[in-house]
Amino acid sequence: MAYAIELQNITKRFPGVIANDQVTILVGEGEIHGLIGENGAGKSTIMNILYGLTQADEGIVRIFGKEQFIASPNDAIRLGIGMIHQHFMLMPNQTVLRNIILGSAPRKGPVIDEKKARIQIEKIMEKYCMQVNLDAVVSQISVGEKQKVEIIKALYREVRILILDEPTAVLTPAETDALIETMRKLKEQGCTIVFITHKLKEVLAATDRVTVMRKGVVTGFGETKDMNVRKLSELIVGREVNFDIPFGAYCPGETLLELSGVSTAPRGGRMPVKEINLKVKRGEIVGVAGVEGNGQSDLIEVIAGLIAADRGGITLCEKDISKLSIRQRRLNGLSHIPEDRLKTGTSTVCSISENLLLNKYFLTPFSRHGIFNHRHIKQHSKLLCDKFLVKTPDPSYELKTLSGGNMQKVVFAREFDTEPSLMIAAQPTRGVDIGAIEYIHGKLAELRDSGKGILLISAELDEIMALSDRILVMYEGEIVAEFHRGEADEYEIGAYMLGAKRQVAHSG
Amino acid sequence: MDKGSLNKKEPIKKKDLMKIKEAIWQNKRVMDSLKLVGKQVAMTLVAVLIVMIFLAASGFSPDAVLIGLNRAITKDIAGSVRWAAPLMLAGVAVCIPFKAAVFNLGVDGQIYMGAIAASTVMLALPEELGKWGLLAAFLAAMVGGALFALIAAAMKVYFNTDMIVSTLLLNFVAKLFTEYIAADALRDADAAIQMNASKMFPESMWLPRLAYFAPSSANVGIYIAIAITLITAFIFYKTTLGYEIKLVGTNPNFARYGGMNANRVILKTMALSGAVAGLIGVIEVSAVQHRLLAGFNPSFGFDGIVVSLLANNNPFGVIFTSLFFGILKNGGSNMERLTEVPQVITQITMAIIIITVSSNIVVRKIKLRRRMKKDGSGSAV
Repeated sequence: MAYAIELQNITKRFPGVIANDQVTILVGEGEIHGLIGENGAGKSTIMNILYGLTQADEGIVRIFGKEQFIASPNDAIRLGIGMIHQHFMLMPNQTVLRNIILGSAPRKGPVIDEKKARIQIEKIMEKYCMQVNLDAVVSQISVGEKQKVEIIKALYREVRILILDEPTAVLTPAETDALIETMRKLKEQGCTIVFITHKLKEVLAATDRVTVMRKGVVTGFGETKDMNVRKLSELIVGREVNFDIPFGAYCPGETLLELSGVSTAPRGGRMPVKEINLKVKRGEIVGVAGVEGNGQSDLIEVIAGLIAADRGGITLCEKDISKLSIRQRRLNGLSHIPEDRLKTGTSTVCSISENLLLNKYFLTPFSRHGIFNHRHIKQHSKLLCDKFLVKTPDPSYELKTLSGGNMQKVVFAREFDTEPSLMIAAQPTRGVDIGAIEYIHGKLAELRDSGKGILLISAELDEIMALSDRILVMYEGEIVAEFHRGEADEYEIGAYMLGAKRQVAHSG
Repeated sequence: MDKGSLNKKEPIKKKDLMKIKEAIWQNKRVMDSLKLVGKQVAMTLVAVLIVMIFLAASGFSPDAVLIGLNRAITKDIAGSVRWAAPLMLAGVAVCIPFKAAVFNLGVDGQIYMGAIAASTVMLALPEELGKWGLLAAFLAAMVGGALFALIAAAMKVYFNTDMIVSTLLLNFVAKLFTEYIAADALRDADAAIQMNASKMFPESMWLPRLAYFAPSSANVGIYIAIAITLITAFIFYKTTLGYEIKLVGTNPNFARYGGMNANRVILKTMALSGAVAGLIGVIEVSAVQHRLLAGFNPSFGFDGIVVSLLANNNPFGVIFTSLFFGILKNGGSNMERLTEVPQVITQITMAIIIITVSSNIVVRKIKLRRRMKKDGSGSAV
């Protein structure tokens, strides 16, 4: 079999870690190759080497059988390699068309020949059955469409090898299905695809062959049809994974959080919430299911205090918090894992320690009269990093040195540490590897069993079903259904999520 | 303790390897910063060389720049110190809001307002108060500068006005207001007609000059500047306010999500910045001019931006870059005085030096790219 990509014995060292240790990856021509492993396993590093973003210390790279040195992404593109990053690299206030031709625009004299570009792009879209409005401004299209734009952008550069770095982390289930469909189309046209992910279902559904990495080395390699979820997860984590969450018995106590008739005002294309009634009791996880963009963001933010309620009351531990500031709500026992850990949950250029400090820096003994006690802070951060298994040599390192899963553990450690009575957990495991998911789910169960309340908002229906004692379904800003654990299967909930069904009365 | 727990998780061999790498890396950081200082010095020498070529090409004696700079670090070091003090404070005034991602282009305006407030106080208070009067003038200057800075900050907070525009435009307001005050409200009736200046302040209230450097106008302002810089470093690294400034500057969404009030942080940093700028005003009028003189400020505020940027907004760095700029400024005026090179050419030569030295960062990037390309062709063969 001819290989499109041969990475032979690649070693890459970073200060303090070996990111890739004698890694060999072979990708056949015209196949969809899954590359899986936990965050920090070295998947992104090896792909960055292939794409010329960084260079290997040792090892050989062959593309279509010829040995190559890829010094920059320009070299990679010349060799027909395109990469689509987890975080899109698009200019938000330009049109789709301009984003696609950026850097390789056809020219007519000194000006850009947009007409010619449009014809070329439309041809590509037809060939691969992908439709995007070329005149839309990028900031106004959905995440799934942005991804399409990225793919078209790569195809426009005539790539024959496409690297997708965790493309599904930001997609809804339907968008994911569409992406997998697109990948198959690309394959039919002779494209080779490397698909990086840590969602096992997708790997099993979409790929031909798979390479598993752990801690910088390849731990498994083979045909996808010989693999299954259990086998893959053991290769990824290096031990058996416990898929069952260790719960105590469900015995809800008094009401912790109560929303009565809460509505928000519509703002800038966001779905507001309408007349929300819900309760979260002690010792209970309430899951909010729904297709993203159905008011979940407003629900989270109105409780956390980031936006004001237009109408209605919010009480926490029988205290009206609807008029309180964000800080006062937090001091009253609320903690909040935000939907987007990079945009709101962290400051990546600050140290891990500084990120852990956010919700308690003004409290003694961390500071007194506005002056920090750095010794105590250092000790405390080390303790938290150890307790919450954050993999870092020292908490004084910048947060961006951590992998996504470890960043999320930092967010989790910070929000867990204040011993909250109610935790809003929004997308707690988004973009996080299997080991960290297992850990975070365990911690949420622990919090529930210790008599605290959790409001879980997740786009992953599996996660909602596994964790929640009660499930609420949101559709167009309203709660349209309520189920207790085991009362409904995912198809039934799915029908409510899409607005096909609706319960008449619900107490919330 | 934590090392023990690390031991348990990782096999010993790997742990040792990590430790060795760690040591090398940390050493490398020290080496890197030493190299950077070395490069900075080398760049200065290169800059001087370029200037010499420029001078020779323009038909002047190329050693004029050497004569000027040499005097600025030997016989006339006093002059360099005199300029370093306001530059240091200006650097600090710029770097405080910059840490919170707020650009204060209005330091010059705040300097003027500080000077007006201080002058008014010193002229109004009885001579007998002596140094207490000076202290009152210092306080007035800080309040004056801070209040003027808060105008732009409040416009940002309440009307979302772009601060780059508002601070910049307010400079003109302050400058013209100073002219009015000096030429009219506080004008000295005995002053020469063409001179817009107030009466002299009572001598008992003058900020002392440094006896060691007499007869230069180098004054205790340099100590004040160093103290303020160290206090700023303390605020940045040891206080909750410094933490708030850093978070608002790096990710305002994160700061808000944690319950911080970003607007309040902007107001605080601008007030601090304005107070520091006000100090420049009072030091300049009470130690150097001894009266309010229209146009006493040779735009320290804009020099402060370069001082702060070159120091990467680090207060400790500001101490060194401001001294460097003090030497440059003084070297320029010495060059003008001691050689036949005219003022315009002097200004060009100083600009060449500043550009060359600050291009250091750019040069490093170009080098990196070239090295990557070289490696590429080497191993692809």
